[in-house]
Amino acid sequence: MSSLPPLSRIASVLVGIAIVVTTLAMPGRARADDADAGMRERLAGCAVCHGDRGQGAHGAEYFPHLAGKPAGYLLEQMRAFRDGKRHYAQMIYLMQYLDDAWLAEVADWYAAQPPIVKQAESGTPMREVDVARARQLVFDGDPAKGLTACSACHGRALAGLEPGVPALVGLPTEYIIAQFGGWITGVRQSTVPDCMASIARKLEPTDLRIVATWLSRQAAPDGERPAAAGTRALPLACGDLPVEAAR
Amino acid sequence: MKASTKLRLLKLAILFPFVALAAVIGGVLFQAQGGFAALRVPHGDATPLATDAATLAHGEYLARLGNCVTCHTTRGGTPYAGGRAFRSGYGTLYSTNLTPDATTGLGDWSLAEFRHAMREGASREGLLYPAFPFDHFKRLTDEDLAALFAFLRQLPAVDAPRTPNALDFPASSRRLLLAWRMLFHRPHPFTPEPSQSEAWNRGRYLVDGLGHCAMCHSGRGAMASLPADRYLAGGRILGQNWYAPPLDTNSLARWSVDDLAGYLRHGVSTHGAAYGPMAEVIYVSLRHLRKDDAAAMATYLKTVPAAPAPVMSATERDLRQRHAAGRVVGTAGRRLYAEHCESCHGDDGRGRGLDYPPLAGNPHVVADDAVNSIRLVLAGGIPPTTPGNPRPHSMPPFSQVLDDAQIADVLNHVRSSWGNEATAIAPGDVRALRGSTLD
Ligand code: HEC
Ligand code: HEC
Ligand code: HEC
Repeated sequence: MSSLPPLSRIASVLVGIAIVVTTLAMPGRARADDADAGMRERLAGCAVCHGDRGQGAHGAEYFPHLAGKPAGYLLEQMRAFRDGKRHYAQMIYLMQYLDDAWLAEVADWYAAQPPIVKQAESGTPMREVDVARARQLVFDGDPAKGLTACSACHGRALAGLEPGVPALVGLPTEYIIAQFGGWITGVRQSTVPDCMASIARKLEPTDLRIVATWLSRQAAPDGERPAAAGTRALPLACGDLPVEAAR
Repeated sequence: MKASTKLRLLKLAILFPFVALAAVIGGVLFQAQGGFAALRVPHGDATPLATDAATLAHGEYLARLGNCVTCHTTRGGTPYAGGRAFRSGYGTLYSTNLTPDATTGLGDWSLAEFRHAMREGASREGLLYPAFPFDHFKRLTDEDLAALFAFLRQLPAVDAPRTPNALDFPASSRRLLLAWRMLFHRPHPFTPEPSQSEAWNRGRYLVDGLGHCAMCHSGRGAMASLPADRYLAGGRILGQNWYAPPLDTNSLARWSVDDLAGYLRHGVSTHGAAYGPMAEVIYVSLRHLRKDDAAAMATYLKTVPAAPAPVMSATERDLRQRHAAGRVVGTAGRRLYAEHCESCHGDDGRGRGLDYPPLAGNPHVVADDAVNSIRLVLAGGIPPTTPGNPRPHSMPPFSQVLDDAQIADVLNHVRSSWGNEATAIAPGDVRALRGSTLD
């Protein structure tokens, strides 16, 4: 036989390519799965409180979820525990002998997990006036008190902004209140200028409870990620994050 | 002569031999702690400090092995600026600023004064507390001390005044430290052992000198002293709820020199992983060890004679028998182990390679003092990141998941399975350690 008919020649070449591609791709796929399983295994110590993919854990509702939060934010928090800027003993204990390279890999992995941001609490319904006040503070702020709207930084969906601004949904009331307490007393600190510390000092305790309660009852659509870096500039200076030009 | 005068003379005559004896003993003890040497703090010294890169690099390496930065830095504070608290039964002592600031640090120190502080434990402040390991650093050669000082002197100067100590009397008095030294401080000269290899001698120089391993790994005697017969015999670390195991030929028999050298640099091995204070020592200090130095330390440690085991009376032996963990485990411990621990430590207790340490045949796990095991189950643990183990595995904390009785049950199962034979622990032992996550 001198030659195959052109069509079947093309077909056999195509089949050949397909075989090569699938055999090449399979181990790649398997490698990705292995890498993912490897990370889950290495982070077993975190799963009891944060869930095996950082989605939060049953019976540990006080602890924040990590999945899908901005990587830069997660890294800064882990370093803050390690370096004495955030004071939760169990977290300091676990973070204290871990270097930046590993913490960055851990932060990236949690950031890449699908954010499943359920409402943290339901509880008794809130009073109408309280809901209205909470929405006002969250979406419009209170200029008379020097309070910027939360959504100006955290976004209208409250899903956060890469690289440094976390989502606000899915956090329990008491957890949120405790963080504000920390900012006010200086127990929780971020890179200066520490915008959250200055906001916390301006927020009345009654307003704090209203906002925290309202936030704990919000959910985000599944898969809603923090807005990409650079899509929005912040209205006030926070650490080294980019700020809107002064107007 | 009046009767009263006679009586006084008589009293003096009787007292004289005692006073004289006390003076002689005092003199001998004063000589034993080094005589006047420590009290003569030198000031000026015109020796110029080396600034060449090789000396500075050598000094940096020595500073790392001496772990100066751990004791002389607060969490998150400026490295070497001092202020770390040392708590003990006598109150709290604070470390000092080692940066070259002229008023609050070592800026106007001479090499001679530095050498004196490191060897004699005395500076312009007066006698120094033995929480500063001068008893070990005194072994350093002149060359090493000069390199170390040269390194410290080129750090950025930081203005960080000393935090006043909060010690109870008599510990609060530096003068009275002389009494402590008379009782416990014996500045023996350090001489190489010609019958041993060069590596062994280097290992001993590092372990007993810069490494000051005995500060944690030796048993403590009266008034926080380190008696020679408890050298590397293991014990509770002063002021901390951690137990440092013995480092001697018996307790390290399960390690080869290579295994042990690897553990010191990497923080993990097939025999155990580092946690607590040892994780800090490795993270800050030993992970920078050169390979030959790690092997030298391992070579030496594996030859340290074991301290004699405390003699046990027949009743004590009997009591131990009755308190053997094997007698108290029910099926609860086994079930809890299968549910919570087996996936990592294995149903045979042998762990998994470098990822999960073995619990079978592990001397820490069967130590009479079970603080370490209890704390690990309560708070979990992650071995330190090191070049040899940059992506560590982890153990979850169980403080929220298991109650005191369950933790005692599961540990008694561990302490009495796969050939392990240890005394039982009680729920109260667990309760006492809740909340000590960070001490
Ligand atoms: C185990 C903890 C510890 C380690 C390790 C340690 N130090 Fe210190 N050091 C202290 C403490 C505590 C003091 C304060 C002692 C006192 O006030 O009496 C001190 C004091 C000193 C002083 C005397 C300062 C003064 O003003 O009198 C010098 C010098 C010094 N250390 C140097 C070093 C160097 C160099 C290293 C590393 C090779 C080192 N230290 C490692 C705990 C430590
Ligand atoms: C600050 C206290 C501290 C110092 C200093 C310290 N260790 Fe440790 N070490 C511990 C504790 C606690 C443990 C038990 C926990 C563990 O195994 O990680 C330990 C465990 C070990 C082990 C494991 C022993 C075994 O049988 O499993 C070795 C080996 C060791 N240390 C060597 C050293 C050497 C060598 C030095 C000196 C360079 C040193 N340590 C200095 C606290 C210390
Ligand atoms: C996800 C894996 C994992 C699970 C589950 C786990 N451990 Fe561990 N365990 C580890 C790792 C990793 C270490 C080393 C920790 C370190 O070095 O900081 C360790 C260390 C220990 C130690 C210290 C050993 C020593 O040498 O002193 C004990 C004791 C221990 N585990 C007991 C338990 C018990 C009991 C359970 C169940 C209640 C358990 N572990 C569950 C991974 C695990």
